[in-house]
Amino acid sequence: MSTHTHANGRKRGIRGLLARIRDSQFLSELASNRLAIVGLLIIATIAGLAIYARVFIGGLPPLTDGQYEAITLSNLSGNSDMAEAPPSLRYPFGLDGQARSIFPRVMYGAWLALKWGTVTVGASTVLGVGLGILAAYYGDIVDNVIMRTMDVLLAFPSLLLALALVAIFGTGLQNAVIALVLVYTPRFARVVRGAALKVMEDEYIDATVALGATDFRVLVRHVIPNCLAPVTVQSTLNFGLAIIDLAALSFLGFGAEAGTPSWGWMLSNGVEYGLHSAWWWAFFPGLFLALTVLGFNLLGDGMRDALDPRMRDAID
Amino acid sequence: MASKWFVVKRLLLLVPVLLGVATLVFAVLHISPGDPARVMAGQRASQEQVEMVRQEIGLSDPIWVQYGRFLADTAQLKLGESYVLRPNQSVASILKNSIPTTIELAVYGQLIGILLGLPLGVISAIKQDSITDHITRIGALTGISVPIFWSGPIVIILFSVTLGIFPTNGRIAQQYFLSDTWLFFGHELPRTGLITLDTLLLARYDAFVSAVRHLVLPASVIGFYSMALISRMMRSSMLEVVRQDYIRTARAKGQGERITFLKHGLKNAFIPVITVIGIQFGTLLGGAVLTETVFGIEGIGMILVDAIDVGDYPVVQGTVLVFALLFTLVNLGVDITYSYLDPRIQQ
Repeated sequence: MSTHTHANGRKRGIRGLLARIRDSQFLSELASNRLAIVGLLIIATIAGLAIYARVFIGGLPPLTDGQYEAITLSNLSGNSDMAEAPPSLRYPFGLDGQARSIFPRVMYGAWLALKWGTVTVGASTVLGVGLGILAAYYGDIVDNVIMRTMDVLLAFPSLLLALALVAIFGTGLQNAVIALVLVYTPRFARVVRGAALKVMEDEYIDATVALGATDFRVLVRHVIPNCLAPVTVQSTLNFGLAIIDLAALSFLGFGAEAGTPSWGWMLSNGVEYGLHSAWWWAFFPGLFLALTVLGFNLLGDGMRDALDPRMRDAID
Repeated sequence: MASKWFVVKRLLLLVPVLLGVATLVFAVLHISPGDPARVMAGQRASQEQVEMVRQEIGLSDPIWVQYGRFLADTAQLKLGESYVLRPNQSVASILKNSIPTTIELAVYGQLIGILLGLPLGVISAIKQDSITDHITRIGALTGISVPIFWSGPIVIILFSVTLGIFPTNGRIAQQYFLSDTWLFFGHELPRTGLITLDTLLLARYDAFVSAVRHLVLPASVIGFYSMALISRMMRSSMLEVVRQDYIRTARAKGQGERITFLKHGLKNAFIPVITVIGIQFGTLLGGAVLTETVFGIEGIGMILVDAIDVGDYPVVQGTVLVFALLFTLVNLGVDITYSYLDPRIQQ
């Protein structure tokens, strides 16, 4: 095809993309939602901190051991009890009991949360889209086999299924991520299946098939692109949940290794050892965790409201 | 009758789900990297001893024989014995002690959530886009964003460590029970296992007060989360219903706003909210894992975490099975209730 026109007659390429963004009902409605913009700003700030931490703090003493801070501290005061100093100008979030400054650790935790959150949600989106599309397009046995398997996975509360899977695979951050991918995949499969079934009711799909397009072409060029909006909304809504569940697994001791500057582990350390003496151990990592999740929930909520009502039904 | 068929169909659909759950639970023992025979025999056991244990518990049989036996045993609630966490105690008895603990916590939490969430959602919908509405909505969004393992520690630090109003650990003050025997002041407990009920039945009001004081913080933390979810759902459901034709009809025939809202609006808006409350109850059971860990309460959640930690597979299997079963049954109950309230769902 040399005409460079899309099925619905719009231009392709970057200029076409920009034009589509400008015309998009979805985006303009989203932009007028103040809460969604607040969510976007929160996410952008956290992402900025995360990238800063990755570039400038990665591998530095606050993340690995407390030697560096301990030396600076003893130079300052000669007092070793300072290893768990409360928040101060020099250490805005205090020290963590092993003379590590909590502030850079919390920032680095943002990097870990966003990185593993992206991996988890990304992988389950891809898996879910694949399975959901197959189920919707082929129907019958394929549909039943895929969706009944998803039903079994959905028969557990999410954190519990993750725990059962961690018990199977063994503990550790990577296994926790794999477990969560399996936990989240069914949610995407269900949304995509619902959206794809709606798309396939449209006549242009019949027309494309009648023109002799292969299954693959129909799915990749027409069905999947038209399911992307609800999938994006579902990803955003689940991003916050995935970050919480990952942190929860680390909190329970089945995710990030002890000592890692992940929010979940820092929280568990704070609850286990600092509850009665050092409130700042648990407070700051949890605050950032909650803020990040709030950002994704605000944005996701706004996105859902901006979505075409026909597609909104596909999302629970 | 159509509704009977719906219940039967819904029950039949349970079979594949439960079979799938059982298979997954079976997999916990047989795919996991640890060697159960080695764990049972102990680290210092010789290779022969380990093999003997393996023979004894049937781990050397072909996998489908083991699978069949597992299904048969599970169906009869023979869940095996704990071998690390509480050696030689049956998994069933461990569960019997801990299930009521988890349920009690979830029920109180859910009650708080319903009692606060429903009115907030309704007010928010009636006064759409008012300041009250905005505050409720932002509060609700914050509520579902705050993980229980952060709000928990914060209320402990505030109300327990700093102000000293509520205790933090366990279900009741130490003086009121003697560890596992559950001998209460020399009486055998009238055991429902729900400690607030048991203490009342024994007319030990001091113990009852202690139990309630222990429940306040964890139940409130759960309740806050659940309130947020319920008020959101109630609000959007109410707004949806208000746009329906029958509401316009009610107004057109001159019915007052209050009655229109309460009689026609509220009643219909409530239907989808019941689903959320049911699903929410399942999520609360899952969240028990976290709440119980934070507040040191020995329910099934805490037992599961400990069992995974030490590799006590029969206990892991038993707790996961119970969780999935409770979750599925709650969902079943919700579906059936829903089908009676809204017969359209049966088609």
